[in-house]
Amino acid sequence: MRNYIIKRLFYSVIIAWGILTVTFVLLRIGPTSPVDRYILNIAAKGQNVESVKQAIEARYGLDKPLIEQYFTYLGNLLQGNWGWSFSTSMPVLELIGSHWIYSFQLILLATIFAIVLGISIGMLSAVKQNTKFDYAASIFSFIGISIPGFWLGLMLILVFAVQLGIFKTYYDTNYPIWSLENLKQLILPVMALGIGELAGYVRYTRSAMLDNLRKEFVTTARAKGLSERTVIGKHVFRNAILPLVTIIMFDLGSIVFGGAYLTEIVFGIPGLGQVSFNAIFANDYAVVVAITLIGTFLVLLLNLGTDVVYTYLDPRIRYD
Amino acid sequence: MTSKSISVLRKIAGPFYVNRRLLGYYWERLQKNKLSIAGLGFILFLAIVGIFGPLFTQDPTKADLEVPNMPPPGFTRQESIYNIKTNDFTNRTIEGGLTHPLGTDSKGRDMLAMLVSGARISLFVGLLATGIAVFLGTFIGVLSAYLGGWVDNALMRFTDIMMTFPFFLLLVLIVFIFGSSLAIIVLVIGLTGWTGAARLIRSEALSLRTRDFITASKALGASDTRIMFNHLIPNVISLVIVMASLSIPGVIMAEAALSFIGLGDPTSTSWGTILNAGQHSLETAWWVAVEPGIMLFLTVLAFNFFGDGLRDAFDPKASI
Repeated sequence: MRNYIIKRLFYSVIIAWGILTVTFVLLRIGPTSPVDRYILNIAAKGQNVESVKQAIEARYGLDKPLIEQYFTYLGNLLQGNWGWSFSTSMPVLELIGSHWIYSFQLILLATIFAIVLGISIGMLSAVKQNTKFDYAASIFSFIGISIPGFWLGLMLILVFAVQLGIFKTYYDTNYPIWSLENLKQLILPVMALGIGELAGYVRYTRSAMLDNLRKEFVTTARAKGLSERTVIGKHVFRNAILPLVTIIMFDLGSIVFGGAYLTEIVFGIPGLGQVSFNAIFANDYAVVVAITLIGTFLVLLLNLGTDVVYTYLDPRIRYD
Repeated sequence: MTSKSISVLRKIAGPFYVNRRLLGYYWERLQKNKLSIAGLGFILFLAIVGIFGPLFTQDPTKADLEVPNMPPPGFTRQESIYNIKTNDFTNRTIEGGLTHPLGTDSKGRDMLAMLVSGARISLFVGLLATGIAVFLGTFIGVLSAYLGGWVDNALMRFTDIMMTFPFFLLLVLIVFIFGSSLAIIVLVIGLTGWTGAARLIRSEALSLRTRDFITASKALGASDTRIMFNHLIPNVISLVIVMASLSIPGVIMAEAALSFIGLGDPTSTSWGTILNAGQHSLETAWWVAVEPGIMLFLTVLAFNFFGDGLRDAFDPKASI
């Protein structure tokens, strides 16, 4: 087990390093330079653009060959220096430090929302198979899977914020994170982000429960005279829910890098998705590389965590 | 060369091409799933609209500032105009008319024409990118399973790395750096989207590889390529078709999301591009954001229904 974890951690570092390299190279061979932003101001003042550009590039080492820049960046990173954000004029680490909480709260709440509701509806749906509730849940889950999250976000804003005026149309950062107002303004984003996953979990839980209900140990449990509550709640549910852990972890990766990204843009939440989005357009490579790296590493660690936890949840699974 | 590739194609599609009865059997099974047929119907409708629609609609790029934000017939919109002479606001009501059956956007472009153009783009990107991805996935999956050993190991580790890469971020990065053209969008989605297919096809091909008919053809002296193209691929082709129809929605959504954040092909109007414009005019012209989203949703739903139906029809164990 210990060897397995060490091996996986080693793999994770290699993969993260690969992703870092690809992102770095892609950004640095791009047509725009992080310096462009300064140049605009200089050009507006009518000063000599070329000399200023060269001076700034020399100062930040941007005029050196790509390979040298890459190793400088890597060296700095290993010493804990995440670089300088050109577009916001602050250290990258500080930038991330002040924005991560917005992404984190959104992703956390959306995941909880999807898991709790998804599993409950899926369970009820399986227990009440072929009833009106079951059909309604099936239709709902098909709609939820097919609806594009960012469009759902727009529609939620249109109906609840523009037409009904219950919510604000934008995310207000003046509220403290731990306040009811903040929680209230997260309702729409959480729904927009979570409903796709929720629908998936409903479908999965329902079919897994139905599969397990047909198994022989259920007949045995019932024959022993256990209450239906125990049979469903303990025997069937626990067996059905296990593989869901993997699916949730897999989804988390796509939420972090796809859904949350778009949701933050739609609702104007200043999280890391929004930050890296702006950074891509400003060619602020250090920010993009850092956020990608952190995101990837988190997803990889979570995956490893899941696999390890799995061996406790399901004693049949062993890694060597 | 061409005659050879045609013969290879024929062998791959063999089970369907030669055996009309088998095709009829699958068609019969598919027909029992009404939702799936409805999905197929909508896809065909969309294809016809995408191919022939542009001949009948107005020019989707033609701006007409005489009629900005005109609602669809039956709806009205209030507008206040500041009158500089009298220094007050005059209110007027704008009614929808039949010249623009689905209204116009903020630049007075015809919504119907834009939606038709969007259908063309979505289907083009969805089918072509999925085609590339599934082709690659099948090839890599079969190669990996059949050759085994270090080839299998190397290919699967490569697949793992590709799977960890934050796909949407990569898409945004590459499109930002190399310019947003449809060709690049299709290529990037196609070249990165094969991982799921490769894994699935590999596991299927692995179980096929140990079957007696493969051993028999080997004993008869069949070459590796012959076994791969004549025996393995034709036997996984139904899985490939199901994979393709179920991965098209994701591709269509990715293209829409990309255009939505402003990185779509500027020379063509896609649903995401319209949504991007609609996001900023939610308060004045709701239809600009609602209509393309509904099309997107229905298209994704149709492919999901159709794919589900196909999966059941091809699965001998499924009871229909």
